[in-house]
Amino acid sequence: MELRELAQLALKEALGLGADEAAVIAHRSISRQVRFANNEVTITKTWDDLNLYVLLAKEAKLVITSLANIEPDAIRNALKDLMGLVAVMKPRPDYAPLPEGPFEYKPISGLYDEKIAQMSDEAIDIVQEAINKALEAGGKRVAGTFAFGVEEASLLTSRGAEGEGRKTRATLVVRALADGEAAGMGTTCGTRLRDLDPASAGEEAGRFARLSLNPEPLKPGRYDVVFGRPACAVFFDIVAGMTSAFYVDSGLSCFIGKLGQQVASELLSIYDDARLEAGLGSRPFDDEGLPTARKAIIEGGVLKTYLHNSITAKRHGTSSTANAGWIVPQPWNVIVRPGDLSDEELLAEVRHGLFVNNITYVRFQDYAKGDFSAVIRDGVFLIEDGELKKGVKGLRLSDNVLNILKSIKALSREARQVSHWWMEWGSPAVVTPLFLAERIGFTVPTK
Amino acid sequence: MRDLADLAVELALKMGADYAEARFHEDVSNMYMLRNGMPEVAGFVRARGIGIRVLVNGALGFSSLNKPDRTLLERRVQEAISMARASARTRKKPIRFSEERAEEARWEVKPKEPFDSVAIEDKMALLYDIDRVLSDEQEIGARIPFRLLELSESTSTRYFVNSEGARISSTVPRIMFLAVTTVLEPEKGTEQDMVQKGASGGWEALRAWDLMDMLRERLKALTKVLKEGVSPPKGKIDIVLGSEVVGLMVHESCGHPYEADRILGREAAQAGESFVSPDMLGQRIGSELVTVVDDPTVEGSYGYYLYDDEGVRARRRFLIKDGIINEFLHNRETAASLGVSSNAAARASGFNREPIVRMANTFMLPGDHEFEELLEDVKLGVYIKTYGEWNIDDRRFNMRFIGREAYLIEGGELKGPVRRPVLEITTPGFYGSIDAIDKNLSLDAGTCGKGDPPQGVPVWFGGPNVRLRGVALGGL
Repeated sequence: MELRELAQLALKEALGLGADEAAVIAHRSISRQVRFANNEVTITKTWDDLNLYVLLAKEAKLVITSLANIEPDAIRNALKDLMGLVAVMKPRPDYAPLPEGPFEYKPISGLYDEKIAQMSDEAIDIVQEAINKALEAGGKRVAGTFAFGVEEASLLTSRGAEGEGRKTRATLVVRALADGEAAGMGTTCGTRLRDLDPASAGEEAGRFARLSLNPEPLKPGRYDVVFGRPACAVFFDIVAGMTSAFYVDSGLSCFIGKLGQQVASELLSIYDDARLEAGLGSRPFDDEGLPTARKAIIEGGVLKTYLHNSITAKRHGTSSTANAGWIVPQPWNVIVRPGDLSDEELLAEVRHGLFVNNITYVRFQDYAKGDFSAVIRDGVFLIEDGELKKGVKGLRLSDNVLNILKSIKALSREARQVSHWWMEWGSPAVVTPLFLAERIGFTVPTK
Repeated sequence: MRDLADLAVELALKMGADYAEARFHEDVSNMYMLRNGMPEVAGFVRARGIGIRVLVNGALGFSSLNKPDRTLLERRVQEAISMARASARTRKKPIRFSEERAEEARWEVKPKEPFDSVAIEDKMALLYDIDRVLSDEQEIGARIPFRLLELSESTSTRYFVNSEGARISSTVPRIMFLAVTTVLEPEKGTEQDMVQKGASGGWEALRAWDLMDMLRERLKALTKVLKEGVSPPKGKIDIVLGSEVVGLMVHESCGHPYEADRILGREAAQAGESFVSPDMLGQRIGSELVTVVDDPTVEGSYGYYLYDDEGVRARRRFLIKDGIINEFLHNRETAASLGVSSNAAARASGFNREPIVRMANTFMLPGDHEFEELLEDVKLGVYIKTYGEWNIDDRRFNMRFIGREAYLIEGGELKGPVRRPVLEITTPGFYGSIDAIDKNLSLDAGTCGKGDPPQGVPVWFGGPNVRLRGVALGGL
């Protein structure tokens, strides 16, 4: 059965069973992955998935399901169970109907590449190229993941939204180690094979690993810091994620009550743009069928909007920003406006400070305040007079999201699309330059 | 689809695999969420599918599908083999699996109160009742403006078959509760609490948690910390750590670095490696009071299993014994690399994930002290009962935990609350500083993340209360 037929079947059944409203997404994907470590491929993987996602509403009550069994009888039975569930729920005071369609979705260019859709064994050569470059640049052991695939989705809602789309994606992450502690990381990603640069990702990982050899401990305290792109991607993923109205309303955001306020340095502007050409997170419609659009999240340091679906928008007395998520609104492509310095010129701004290529394990003591710490890795260097002087070990980034946002002093001009494992707040990709922030806190173990 | 799992193994061997296994999973889960007293969402997931893993010319291939279609199955088995074969040329050393007995078994957890024996109205009513208590400003002593409550029930039915003749069937129901709350005191700011409970079994497990009282007590205590908490003392002091803190510390600083795949570098690009190397077996890592085990066979536990996802029979693993590094966690691949047998640590979070080395229930064994004895000769110290922010570096050597509920200890007695003491310490620093352990073993639930794509698996972690001598608190 075609995806559209599947979605039609589920929608018809849902309405036939008495649902007031329904949204259905039929989703098919073939994803592949080559994982490697110690300069060797450790495993290759292929996933073949077909799933049906259904949202039902009745009398201002909402229920959802995800189904793998798409036999017509199984769908029917599951929807009956879902109607049974909705019958015993209590109505939501914040209930909002699905957006009224139909809608017109303008295509987004560069989202599909047959070469990625059909790629299989050839991926090993791409991985081998990245490993070789990392070794040439000074890595001794190279690990990483090359993930790629194709997906298609068909969305139908009872309010007349009808959307279809397909896209490809590929992400290569390379981590090189020159010894146990000296590590570097490089990434490359895109929706088209020609967007990928495995050699550069490998080279960057290997070079940072070599430069990190024989790291030295440094005193805890406050340092001016240039963050590398993997670190920027993790940080801005958190910033954008925390503007999701779901997290704002759950106490899991440091932007509660800060709409319209200066939350960052005026140098900083962040956009969510689902219509970015060749963006990993690009999509013409959200999960409620609303056409997506580019919007400012933070502009000139001022918080411009939270990210909404219909229900969170109603709760906040505003319109949906087309970031549904049936439960949690989420960013699509997070885009950080670049500055005007080259990467080298940005480093040259620092007399005595740190370069932190990647941040991982970001954990919060208090989301509402933004207090957190993070493990720094994959290229951590002391900067002296604008030069990477030596590798540094043992430090932990210990600061506050709002403080870092306000401490941004400059951004570099080259923005790249980044996606990697440690981006835990739901952004498919962040397009980011490097940034420099002043007097950021770092701590060390006491024993 | 169970027949298709058998067929997958048969096909893989015909197509040239040296070893093949298939797992059929049928997972059903129900979820209920209340946010600030409003029903955020309820729903269910019904997932099923087959994961196939093959060893070809010393290289591993994996594929999964969720559609019961023979032609598709053949295609996916073929691709697993062809990609593994293509990747074999990158390997200097072929992957081998340790020799293990081909087990045939069926095991299950029988719930005393199956999930469907409790009306959905009653499940929602429980969440509403909890929310009512948390919203009672007079009862708690402060306002709790943000309250996120989640309840989930899941049942995983699995069938494992491999080309060596192993066949294992299992059914495990699990129940989980999560509460994320924010205490607000306008003059003092906010403090947040996050607590997760989990068990294998039915609704009876949830009744035993006494959620209402547990949350009420936690939030009253946190309110006191927020209103009255003082800054922690400077300089070297003694620190008593509560079970909850000890549990996460042993999970992070003993469980993870003793996972043999991390030790051998297989997770280097994501979760990281380990400060532990194979030649450290037998070396001292902590005081002789310290023994840490990982045990999947604890009945009722969240991480419970009797056979792992490679069909190997589970047993208790002694990771640290009397302060000595004793044993690593292995699957069949890492066991063969280090010349030992698997100790059944291979777990896959779903049919569409490869089995990798994981913990189950990791805890420090209790000692012989009473809790009061840990305090009695402490002149100046801090008792950190629960934690908030925490993390650990990718070699599992440098960790940090910030206390949420914490108290000053003076002259051998617990005094008033302390706000946000920072314990930032190395792994040997932690295990080497323990000089007393009490009798009170307690275990908590968590969802442990690892792998790429990520695999969250249910675990317990825990321990007794322990005392560290002569440690300075950290922070800026």
